[in-house]
Amino acid sequence: MIAEYTWLVPFIPMMCFLIIGIIGRKTPEKGGYIAIAGALLSFLIALAISVEYLGSSEYEMGLPITESIRWFAIGDYTLNLGYYVDGLTCMMMLFSSFISTLIFIYSIGYMHDQGERKNRYYAEVSLFLTGMLGLIVSSNFLELFIFWEVMGLCSYLLIGFWSFRHHEGDAASANAASAAKKAFLVTRMGDVCLMGGLFIFLNLFHSLDYTDMFAAAEQVAQSNPELMTLGLLLMFGGVIGKSAQFPLHDWLPDAMAGPTTVSSLIHAATMVKAGVYLVARAFPIYVMDGNVMLFVGIIGGVTAFIAATMALNNMNIKKVLAYSTVSQLGYMILALGAGGYLWSLGYYELGALGFFAGCFHMVNHAFFKALLFMGSGSVIHGTGTEDMRLMGGLFGKMKITAITMLFGCLSIAGIPIFSGFWSKDLVIDTAMLAFEHGVGDATTWFLVLWILAVVTAFMTAFYMFRMWFMTFMGEPRENAQHCHGESPKTMTTPLIILAVFALISGLFMFFGLDQMLAFEGVMINGTEHGIELFTNPYTYLTLVLAAIGILIAYGMYVKQSINPGKFNKNGESGLYKALTKRWWFPDLYNQISWKFGYGVAKGVNYVDRQIVDGTVNGLSAAVVGGGDVLSKVQTGHVQDYSSIVLLGVSVLSVLCIVIFALLGGF
Amino acid sequence: MIPMEYFLVLGAILFCIGAYGVLTKSNAIVVLMCIELMLNAANINFVTFAAFNYDIVGQAFVIMSISVAAAEVAVGIAILLNAYKIRKSTELDDAELTSMRW
Repeated sequence: MIAEYTWLVPFIPMMCFLIIGIIGRKTPEKGGYIAIAGALLSFLIALAISVEYLGSSEYEMGLPITESIRWFAIGDYTLNLGYYVDGLTCMMMLFSSFISTLIFIYSIGYMHDQGERKNRYYAEVSLFLTGMLGLIVSSNFLELFIFWEVMGLCSYLLIGFWSFRHHEGDAASANAASAAKKAFLVTRMGDVCLMGGLFIFLNLFHSLDYTDMFAAAEQVAQSNPELMTLGLLLMFGGVIGKSAQFPLHDWLPDAMAGPTTVSSLIHAATMVKAGVYLVARAFPIYVMDGNVMLFVGIIGGVTAFIAATMALNNMNIKKVLAYSTVSQLGYMILALGAGGYLWSLGYYELGALGFFAGCFHMVNHAFFKALLFMGSGSVIHGTGTEDMRLMGGLFGKMKITAITMLFGCLSIAGIPIFSGFWSKDLVIDTAMLAFEHGVGDATTWFLVLWILAVVTAFMTAFYMFRMWFMTFMGEPRENAQHCHGESPKTMTTPLIILAVFALISGLFMFFGLDQMLAFEGVMINGTEHGIELFTNPYTYLTLVLAAIGILIAYGMYVKQSINPGKFNKNGESGLYKALTKRWWFPDLYNQISWKFGYGVAKGVNYVDRQIVDGTVNGLSAAVVGGGDVLSKVQTGHVQDYSSIVLLGVSVLSVLCIVIFALLGGF
Repeated sequence: MIPMEYFLVLGAILFCIGAYGVLTKSNAIVVLMCIELMLNAANINFVTFAAFNYDIVGQAFVIMSISVAAAEVAVGIAILLNAYKIRKSTELDDAELTSMRW
């Protein structure tokens, strides 16, 4: 039983973190090789566990392999630590550790000239991987929450990696520091919600173990539907924060201030995937409430659309990718919401399809987004800038980067055979199915969401190819002219591997991924659905829209037959400004922080300074003052002292007499 | 026979005069004399109870008390004389003493 050693999967990167932190300075590449070895070892163990689980009888029956030990108990609440292995866990472990390994290898090249600080970098990314893998193999929500927070800490540290000394000067380091704080605080808002949700669940279920909760979900949903709904919504609040969903999505583009490898890690393998994973993991509880699932779907669809609009006119290569991540995460959440809604109505197979589509898109996205980020890192490494206006014409100089990134772009744009096509069209399909089978107002919502999803697909194709064309095609501009050629092998090899996966990972659905991601034993037939995509007229609609998007991008940025300035009045139109201002979300955050946050802080400050401190200070002042007053009694006159003695004796004698009389002594 | 209360009241009055003197007089010699008054008030009580209870122990105790008082006065006056030699005063409430506080 290798599954018994599932705890090793997060434990090994944890050990790497400690080893690199303590003695990493003395090893070659400041601990980089240790980090790679740890991630690779985790991947191999995860692979062995997956192979064993997929061959076990539990897997045939759709059951997990799980084991817990008691951690502590409060009253009749018992909290456990343990592991939980099922198809979803296996899939997440595999792609997380695999992509992390590639990112670490890539880091050797990308972070090469960072000197002593590489030590810190490798220690922190190892801890980051610990957080993600621990979150995946957890057997209960408390354990999940602990690793969730570990990741929050690591994202803070890594986004702010360049906050101390930046080769681009003080402004850039201040920017990194504020981006790190923003990421930490915004996700923290979600984390507080998640914690509230867990309190409610602990109260409802008397346990946070997955097995107990999934078994009792139906009964609890019937006996206490209001609290259940509140708990689910609060838990989804955590997802909104972590997975950068509307309206807390704004931290993710700012998080680009970190090194590109960190962005890649956050966007592809860890962090933002944790939110989607949480919804997928808690899916058996979520499907108990169709309205919550509708809400989840709405948030997902709106996020996908809004993020895609903001990517349309951004000039920063990494920020375009960041918005595309937010947008794709919206797709995943939308698929889960629509699927859960259908399941709650009793359409079990369609519900399982939604679940599959969401998780499947997460896998595919992990591959092509890691690829795109590392490709952009390679471009930034070569040109020394993130501004696409300073690039262009790099195709000849960076052939491997250009071709692998083209694979990523084709994949995210949803061109057939490439991985993004399969999962994205399944997501859009699920929204359509929810529209067809829904009841009441929900049908209208899902129609709107479907339209948003289709329009987003069009915009995705446009902005991804806009990015690719601006970077690799056309005339070489400023920085591109003194680009010194292709990046080192440690950087291009991971790109090639990921490009292969971006091409083929969509085909996994024909080779067993459909059974791995079966929800509660309801398996959808991957082959059937894969072929169905080609008979579905809506698939062709999205394909045509994607093709138009690519052609417009080609016309604007390569042939230059269409002038982009015509659409935005050369940057003067209101819409263009709104997009540049990110729909005023940063301003909104600032307003809320200043008006509400600062007001609350002032109130709390007042209570703390005046009431809490006031009580303590007042007490000590009373003691000191009282002592001062009473010390005046010590006059130094011996006769005053003897007067007091005499007075005391007289009072005592009178008291004695009175007591004696009262007791009837006379 | 003179009632017992007469003796006790005499003792109490004597004691009060002595206490008053101790607490109010500023001359140390007067204070010492007043302390003698208070001791003698106690002695009167001893003698009274001894006489009325036909108990010789009370009278014996008075002898003891008087001899202790004599010794005490001898010591007290010796201290006073020495203090007078140093301070040229037998006053109790001069500034030098009252500053020895807080």
